[in-house]
Amino acid sequence: MGYWEDLELAWWDTNVVNCSFCGQMIPKRRWVSEVDGEVRSFCSLDCEQLYVNYWVPKHGHTTPTPNPLPEGKGPE
Amino acid sequence: MVGTQSVDGAAGVAGSQVTQSVIHNRLVMICREMGIAMMKTSYSTIFNEGLDFSCVIFNRDGEMIAQAEFCPAQLGAILFTVRWAIDEYGLENFEPDDVLIHNDPYRGGCHMPEHTIIKPVYYDDELFGFVANIGHVAEIGGMAPGSFAATATEVYQEGLRLPLVKIMRRGEYVQDIWKIILANHRTPRHTWGDFHAMIGSLHIAERRLHELLDQYGVPVINEACTALMDHAERWMREELRQIPNGEYSFEDCVEDDGATSDPTWIRVTMVVRDDEIIADFSESDPQAKGIVNATYGVTASATYNALFHVTDNEIPHNSGCYRPIKIIAPPGTVMNVQHPAPSVGGNTETHPRIVDIILGALSKVIPERVAAAEGGTSCNFLFGGHHPETDQYYVVYSFEGGGWGARHYKDGNNVVVVPNGNCRNTPVEVFETRYPWLTHAYALVPDSAGAGEFRGGLGARRLLEVVAPAEITVSAVFERMQVNPWGLLGGGKATTSAILVQKRGDDRFRTFAEVYGTVSAAKFANCVVGPGDRILIQSPGGGGYGPPSSRDPQLVLSDVEQGFISERAAREVYQVAVERDGSRYAVNEAETAGLRGE
Repeated sequence: MGYWEDLELAWWDTNVVNCSFCGQMIPKRRWVSEVDGEVRSFCSLDCEQLYVNYWVPKHGHTTPTPNPLPEGKGPE
Repeated sequence: MVGTQSVDGAAGVAGSQVTQSVIHNRLVMICREMGIAMMKTSYSTIFNEGLDFSCVIFNRDGEMIAQAEFCPAQLGAILFTVRWAIDEYGLENFEPDDVLIHNDPYRGGCHMPEHTIIKPVYYDDELFGFVANIGHVAEIGGMAPGSFAATATEVYQEGLRLPLVKIMRRGEYVQDIWKIILANHRTPRHTWGDFHAMIGSLHIAERRLHELLDQYGVPVINEACTALMDHAERWMREELRQIPNGEYSFEDCVEDDGATSDPTWIRVTMVVRDDEIIADFSESDPQAKGIVNATYGVTASATYNALFHVTDNEIPHNSGCYRPIKIIAPPGTVMNVQHPAPSVGGNTETHPRIVDIILGALSKVIPERVAAAEGGTSCNFLFGGHHPETDQYYVVYSFEGGGWGARHYKDGNNVVVVPNGNCRNTPVEVFETRYPWLTHAYALVPDSAGAGEFRGGLGARRLLEVVAPAEITVSAVFERMQVNPWGLLGGGKATTSAILVQKRGDDRFRTFAEVYGTVSAAKFANCVVGPGDRILIQSPGGGGYGPPSSRDPQLVLSDVEQGFISERAAREVYQVAVERDGSRYAVNEAETAGLRGE
C-alpha cells in the first residue's frame, strides 16, 4: 500500500520535480510506496506497476538515473 | 436535432455509436477550424506557410478528447503540457475567459519556441474543459535571431522561458505579462499577431463547443467522450496485440550537439507484452552539453509518432489510445533534459531519430509495417536582419523536406518535412518577395534516394543568394550530415544533408565551419552573409527497402525518365541497362538480364 504525498514547492520556485523512474513531471503530488521493503516514490500508481512488473525483474531495485526528489512532508 | 439530455438519458444517447461518431467528428472539425483560423490570421510564415501548429480539446480532467491532423511532435507533447499545467496551476485558479501561455521545456513542452496557449471553457458556469493550441513562435529572443541558438549550452540562451501564466484574465489583457514578452522578442509585432491568431482560434473553438453543448448537453458529450477514449484504447490494444511479444532494441546517434563535435547516442528497447508496449530509453546517453536534448514531451511524442506509423491510422487520437503505451525516459538523459540544459534541436532533430530507432527496433519483428530511415533532419535554416527596402526587422524560420524511407510495397515520398512536422516548406515566392534572397535553384536531387526494390524519397537542393545591399544573419540546425539514412532488408542508404556557403569572389562552396570557424558544420548561429554571398541547402534522401536488383526495370526506367536517378545508377546500382533513343529512354532487356545474372 502507498499514499499520495503533496510536494512542498514555494510559488517562486520554478524548478520541476520529475519521477525518478519514468521521467514524467510530478506537478503537485507523488505516489509513495513500499516495494519489497524499500520506500520509493513515483508519479502514479501505474508507474509503480511498471517498475514492479518490468524494471525490477530486469534490473533489481535500481533507479535508471539518480535524480533525488526534494523532501516532502512524509506520512502522517 | 437531439435535445439536451438528462443524466439518466445521457447513457442511452451517448451510448449510440452513431452519436459517438457524430460527436467525434464534430470535435475533430472544431480542431480543424481552429487550425484554419490560425493559418489565415497569423503574421509569421512559420504559421501561415509552414503550418507549424496544432489544435486540441481537453476535458476538465486533462484528458485529450480531440485533435486533428497537425504536427505529431506537438500533439504527443501537449497531452502532458496541458495535463501538468492544469495540475500545477489548480482547477480552482481558472476563471471564464482566461487565457494562459506556457513554453517551458521542462514542463512538458517540446522546446522553447513551441508555445502552448490554453483557454478554459465554461458552460452554464461550470468548467467543461480546455481548448488549446501549440505553435512554433518564430522569434522568442535569446542569443540568435529565430531563437535556434545552435551553440547554446543552457536554456537562458534559447529565449524567454514562460512557466504557465495568464495573458488574459477574465477577458482582459494582463498587460504586465504582455510587456515582458514583447520586450524580449526581436519581432514583437509578429508575436502580437501570432498570439492573437492563437487566441482567436481558441475563441472559435469555445464558440463551437458551446454550440455542441447546446445541442447535446454536458452529460451526453462527457459520456460520449469517455466511450470514445475507451474505444480508442481497445483499438490500440488490439493493434499492439498483433506484434509478437518480445524485446527489440536499436540505436542511432545525433551527430553533434552544436557546442561540441561529440555524437550523442539514443537507444531504445521496445518491450511488447500482449496488448501493451514499453519504450525503454534508459540505456541512452546522458544529456548533451548542446541543443540536441529531447524533453520528456519530445520523447513521448516521438514514441507515439512511431507507433502510429505501425498501427491502424483510423484509431481516434484521443487520450485513450495512448494508455497502453508506457515510456521510460530517465531524467538527465538525452531523452529527458533537465534544467538548465538546452533543447531547441531535440524537437527537430532528435525526434526523427527517435522515430527511426523505434521503427528500426520493430523492423526485426514487423518489417512489413515499417519504413527505412527517412531524411531525419528538419534542415532548420534561420535568418534575420533589417530589410533594406522596408527598414523593418524580420526573422524567419524555414525548414526543408527530405526523402522519406521506402516501405515494403512502395517508394518513399520525395521532399516531405520530417515525420514530426507534417508542415509545409517555405515557397520560393515567399523567400523572394518578403526577404532579400534570390533563389537560383530549388530542385529534387538526383540519386539522393537510397536504392532498393522500393527506393527512398529524394532530397531537395535550394540555392540562395543575398540581394544587395542586405546583410543577413543566418543560423542552422542540421543533422544527417555524417551518418547516412539507412536502408532496410538490403535497401541502400541515402545521401546526407549539407549547408554550404560561397562568399562573393570565392570559387567554391565551403562549410560554415571552414569559413566562419564554427564548431559544427551542421549547427551554428549568427553567421553574417552579405551581398552576393550564396548559400546551398541540401536535404537528405530516404533509405531504400529490399535489394535494388529486385526493382522492377520499368520503375527504374521511369525514375531515369523523370530524372530521379541517373543512367549510371540504373546500371551500376539497379543493374538495369537504360538506353537513350533520341528523346526517349528504353530498357535493354537482354543487357539487363546479363547484368542481373538472369
